[in-house]
Amino acid sequence: MSAQNRTTPTGTMGTTNAEELSSAVRRRSGMVGMGVAIAIAIVLLAIGIGGGYFLGVYVTKTSSSVTQITETGSTLLYPLMQIWGPNYTKFNSAVSLSTAPSGSGAGQTAALKGTFNIGASDAYLVNATKNGVLNVPVAISSQLVYYNLPGITQHLNLNGTLLAYIYGGKITSWNDTLIRDAQSPAVDSNLGNLTTAEQKITLIYRYDSSGDTFLFSTLCNMSWGKFPFTNSTSAFSGIATKLSNTQSETGNSEMVSGVEAIEGGIAYIGISYKHTVSGANVNYAALGDNTTLANGNYSVAKDDFILPTNTTISNDANLGLTHLSYKTFGLADSMILGGFRNSPVNNTPGGGGTDPTVGETGTNGAYPIVNLEYSLIRSAPYGSTVSAGALKDTVEFLQWAISLGNDPQYLSQVGFVPLTTEVLGYDQQEFASVSV
Amino acid sequence: MATANPMTRMLTPEDLLTDRSLRTRWRIGFDRAVGWVLPLLFGVAILPILAVVYYVGSRALPTLTVTVLTSTSLTAGVDVLGVPIICTFEIMAVATLLAVALGLFGGIATAEFLPDRLAGWIRTTANMLAGTPSVVMGYFGYFTFVLYFGWGLSLISGAFTLAFFMTPYVFRTADLAFTSVPRHVREAAYGSGAGPLQYILRIGSRIALPQILTGVFLAMAIGVGETAPIVLTTAAATIVPHSLFSPATFLTALIFANYGSSLGAGYVNVAFQAAFILIVVVMLLNVLVRIVSARYQKKLEGLYL
Amino acid sequence: MSTTAVPGPPAESQPVPPPSSPDGAPRTVRRRGAWILHTIVPLVPALVPVAIVVAIVFALLSLAGMSIGLSLTPFSFRFRGPVNFGWAFFGSDFAPPYHWEIGVFIVGSFLTAIPALFLSMAIGLGIAIASTTYLPRSLTAWLDPFVDLLAGIPSVVFGIWAYAYAAPYFGVTINPWLSMHLGFIPGFGGSPGLPTGEGLPVTIFILTLMALPITTLLIRDALRSLPRDLWESGLALGATRWETMRRVGLPHGMRGILSAGFLGFGRAFGETVAVAIVLGGASRYPTNFYGETGTMAATMFALLDSAYGNGQFLALLSEMAIVLLAITLAVNIVGRRFVSSFVGYEIAGM
Repeated sequence: MSAQNRTTPTGTMGTTNAEELSSAVRRRSGMVGMGVAIAIAIVLLAIGIGGGYFLGVYVTKTSSSVTQITETGSTLLYPLMQIWGPNYTKFNSAVSLSTAPSGSGAGQTAALKGTFNIGASDAYLVNATKNGVLNVPVAISSQLVYYNLPGITQHLNLNGTLLAYIYGGKITSWNDTLIRDAQSPAVDSNLGNLTTAEQKITLIYRYDSSGDTFLFSTLCNMSWGKFPFTNSTSAFSGIATKLSNTQSETGNSEMVSGVEAIEGGIAYIGISYKHTVSGANVNYAALGDNTTLANGNYSVAKDDFILPTNTTISNDANLGLTHLSYKTFGLADSMILGGFRNSPVNNTPGGGGTDPTVGETGTNGAYPIVNLEYSLIRSAPYGSTVSAGALKDTVEFLQWAISLGNDPQYLSQVGFVPLTTEVLGYDQQEFASVSV
Repeated sequence: MATANPMTRMLTPEDLLTDRSLRTRWRIGFDRAVGWVLPLLFGVAILPILAVVYYVGSRALPTLTVTVLTSTSLTAGVDVLGVPIICTFEIMAVATLLAVALGLFGGIATAEFLPDRLAGWIRTTANMLAGTPSVVMGYFGYFTFVLYFGWGLSLISGAFTLAFFMTPYVFRTADLAFTSVPRHVREAAYGSGAGPLQYILRIGSRIALPQILTGVFLAMAIGVGETAPIVLTTAAATIVPHSLFSPATFLTALIFANYGSSLGAGYVNVAFQAAFILIVVVMLLNVLVRIVSARYQKKLEGLYL
Repeated sequence: MSTTAVPGPPAESQPVPPPSSPDGAPRTVRRRGAWILHTIVPLVPALVPVAIVVAIVFALLSLAGMSIGLSLTPFSFRFRGPVNFGWAFFGSDFAPPYHWEIGVFIVGSFLTAIPALFLSMAIGLGIAIASTTYLPRSLTAWLDPFVDLLAGIPSVVFGIWAYAYAAPYFGVTINPWLSMHLGFIPGFGGSPGLPTGEGLPVTIFILTLMALPITTLLIRDALRSLPRDLWESGLALGATRWETMRRVGLPHGMRGILSAGFLGFGRAFGETVAVAIVLGGASRYPTNFYGETGTMAATMFALLDSAYGNGQFLALLSEMAIVLLAITLAVNIVGRRFVSSFVGYEIAGM
C-alpha cells in the first residue's frame, strides 16, 4: 500500500508513511546520526542552562568584595539612579548600586518590607516613621504642560484652574474665553485663528500608573474643588468613561509622541523628557498661580505666568518647605502650589494655593508643578537585605547623592534642579535618625 | 445501444487537463489562480518579520560588539549587556529545571499509567493551564512568591513564575511523546515481560526523548520571550545577582524599562540590543527544535513503522 | 505411569488478568499491592497541572479578599470585595476610586481578540494550504520555519515596533482610507481617529500577527497528518487540488483547525504588553471601528503599581484577573467540548 509510485502533485500532504526497512548498515548509521543530534542538543542545553548559572556564580564570586545596594521604585527617579549608580561606584569602588524601575508603589512596598535597601517614590509616604521608614528627598523634579497648536510658537499662559477645567471637561476648545483671556494679545488672536479641527482640545493622558499623573491630578484638585478625578497615580484611568476627546498613552515617551502628532492636543510630561520633544507647533505652557474662578478672583496679571526654569522650580520647592510644616501637611502636597514666594498659603483643595492679591512677578515666581523625589530607607536594620552594613552603605550613598551627586553634569541629563538648602537640612535631619 | 456510455474507464488526472468544457476549464483555472494567490499570504507573515528584524537590527547592530555582550562592568552606564544575559540564563536555568521536574513526570504518568477518562481530564487541565494569560500568571506569581512566601522582587520569584508558565508545555509534550510511541513497540516491551518502569526508562524514553527535547526547547523559547510575569515579579535590576533571592533582570524586562528612556539614544539603544539578542536566542532555539524533530521524523519513518 | 512430570498447566494457576486498558496494552499485575504503585504514585506528578490551576484560583481569590483588610493568610478569602462581585461589576462605569465596573474591558478584550482570531485563522489556513498542497518541498522547507520565526519575536518588541511604525501608518493612511471607502458598513464610517493611530485597527493587526504562527503551525500539522490515501483518492476522482482540499482535506482536518482557533484566540485574548504599548487603554466602548478601547490584560498590567498600597484597587485588579482567567478557561473548556464532539474522544495535544 505504501510503495507504489506517487504521481501526486507537489506538496507535503501525508508524508508520514513507512518506507522499506533498510539494511543493517543504514540502520546503524541512522542511529549514530540520531544519537549525535541528540547529544549535541543535550550538550547545548546543558551549556545554556548550567553554564549560565555557573558563569553568574563565578562573576559574583570575583566581585564579591563589592557590596550591593539594591534600589527599586519610581520611574521618574530611575534615570537619575541610572546615572548615579556607575558614577558612585567610580567614587567608591566598594559599593555598587542596582536600580530598577518598578514604580512608586513597588518602591514603597519594598521599603516597608525591607526587601530592598532603597525604595524610590514620587509621593511622600505618610505614616512612614510609624513603620520604621524615612522619607529622604533626593531630587527636585517638575512637570511641563505641552500643547500642539499650529501657528502658535509662543508659550501659552495657563494655570491650575484652567488645566483642571480642561481635564475635567469643562473647557473643550482652545478658543474658549477663559483661555483667551489669559493670553497676550498676539496669542489671543492666534487662538482665534485656529481652524475648528485644531480648536478641539484632545486630552492626552497617562493610562498606566504614573507619578506624573499623581502630580498633575494633585494640581487640578488643589485648583478646582469639583475636579472629577481624585489625585492618585491612576487618576485618569477612568477619564474615557466621562469624556470623549481623550487619547491614552503608556509612558512618558508616548506622551511626547502623542502631543507631537495630535494637533490641538495637550499633555503633561515630566521634565526629563523636555529635550526629546520636537516639532514646530509643540511648546510648553507658562503656568500662573492657582487663582480660583469661583472666588471671583480671576485677575489676569499677564506677567504672573511663570516659565519653568531652575530658579522658579527652586522657588516653589522652598515655598513649600518654608511656609508649611511638612510634618503636618506632608511634603508632596506642599509642592503643588505655585504662586509667590512670600504669600500666605492656602492648602485646602480648591483653595488655589496662594493668595493672588499679594503679587510678585517674573523670575521670582514659583513654578507650580514641582515635586520632591523620595528615597525611602529604613531607620534601623531590618531583615536580611537591610543589614547594618548595608544600611550604613545606603546612607553613605545618599549623602553622596545629595552632595556630589547634585552636580549639574548629572542633573542636567534629567532636567532636575539641585536640592535647596532647606531640603538638604531636612535630609540631614532624617539621616540623623538612622540608628546604625 | 442508443448512445455510447462515455464512462468506460476510470478518470485520470490527464482527463482533467484535456477536458475542454467551460466548467472544467474554470475549475482548473481557479485552482491555478488559488495556487498563485495563497502563497502570497506568506508575505503577510514574512513582511512584518522582516520589518521588525530590520527595525531592531538597524538600531542594535551598529553598537553591538563582543565587549558589549560580555561586559559586566559596574562603572559603565550603558552597553553593559553581560549582566542581563547572565541573569536571563540564570532565571531560565532555574525555570527550565523546575518546569521539567514538574511537567515531565506528570506527562509520562498521564500517558502510561492513568485510566483514559482521568487522563483526559488532566490533559484538559494542562491545556487550560497552557492557555492562561501571562498577566494572570504574573499576578499569581506576585501573590504567591513575592508576597506570601516573602521572597520579594527577586530572581527566584521570577524563575518560579516562569517555571509554572512553562510547565504545561513540557507536560503536554511528554504526554504526546509517550502516547505516540508506536503500539507494537509498547506491546512488544510488555509482552517481553517488562514492567512499566522498565519500559519507560529503557525503551519509551529512547523513542520519546527527541520529542520531549523539542518540547523543552519550545517551552524555553516561550519562556524567554515573556514580559508580564517577569516585570511583575522581578525588578529589572542592573547587577549580577549574588543569590537566588537578590533582584535580577531579564532581557524582556530590560527592553520594557528602557525603550522610552529619557536619557538619550545610548540608553534607548540598550533596549534594542536586548531585543536583538532575544530574537537571535529564540531563532537558535527554533533551529534546534527543527534539527531534533527532523532527525526524529526520519528515524521514525525508517525504523518503526 | 511415568514419574517424569509432564509439562502442563500447574495445579493451581493464577489466572492472568485480561487486558484491561482500551488500547490493548496488557497490564501484568505481579503483586497484590502493585496497583497502588501503578495508580496512586503516578497520580502525584500527573496532578501537578491541576494543583497549579487550583493554586492560581486560590491566589487570586486570596488577593481579592486579602486586600480589603483581612489577614495575610491566603485562604481567608471571601466573595465580598469592594465591588461586591455582583452584576454591577460588569457595568461600564470605570472611575477609580469610586466606581469599579469593568464591563468595558471585557468587551474590549473580545473586540480586539475575535477579529484577530478570524483574520489569523483565515491567513493561517491560506498559508497552511499553500504550504501543504501548492508549494514544492524545496520552498516550504525554508518558508515554514520563517513563519514560525514570527512566534519568536517577543511581544514587547512587537509593541514597540507597532507603536513606532504601524500605528502612525494606520492613523495617517489606512484608517482614513477605510473610513472613506468602507464607510457604508455600519461602524466603519465616521471619524477615522487621531493620527497617532492607536485604536482597534492596529491592535487587531498585531494580535493577528501574534496569533498567526500558532494557527499556521497547528493547521499545517493537522493537514500534514492526514493520511495520504485520503488526499490521493480525492485527486484520483478528478478533483483539482483546491477542490480536494475543500471537500476532503478540510473536513477531515477540522479538528486540528478548530483547536488551532482556540489556541490562537487564547493568545490574542491574553496578550498584555503589546496591547498596553500600542493601544494603551480607555475605559469606554469605542464609537466606531477606529476608536480606542481597553482590554483586561493591558489594564491589569498597567494599573498594578497604583494598587500596591491600596487594598481596594488590588481587590479590583485581582477580581479582573479572576474574570479574565474564568473567560479563558471557559472558552477552552467549551471549545474542547465542541471540538471533541466531532470526534468522540480527546486526543492528546489538541
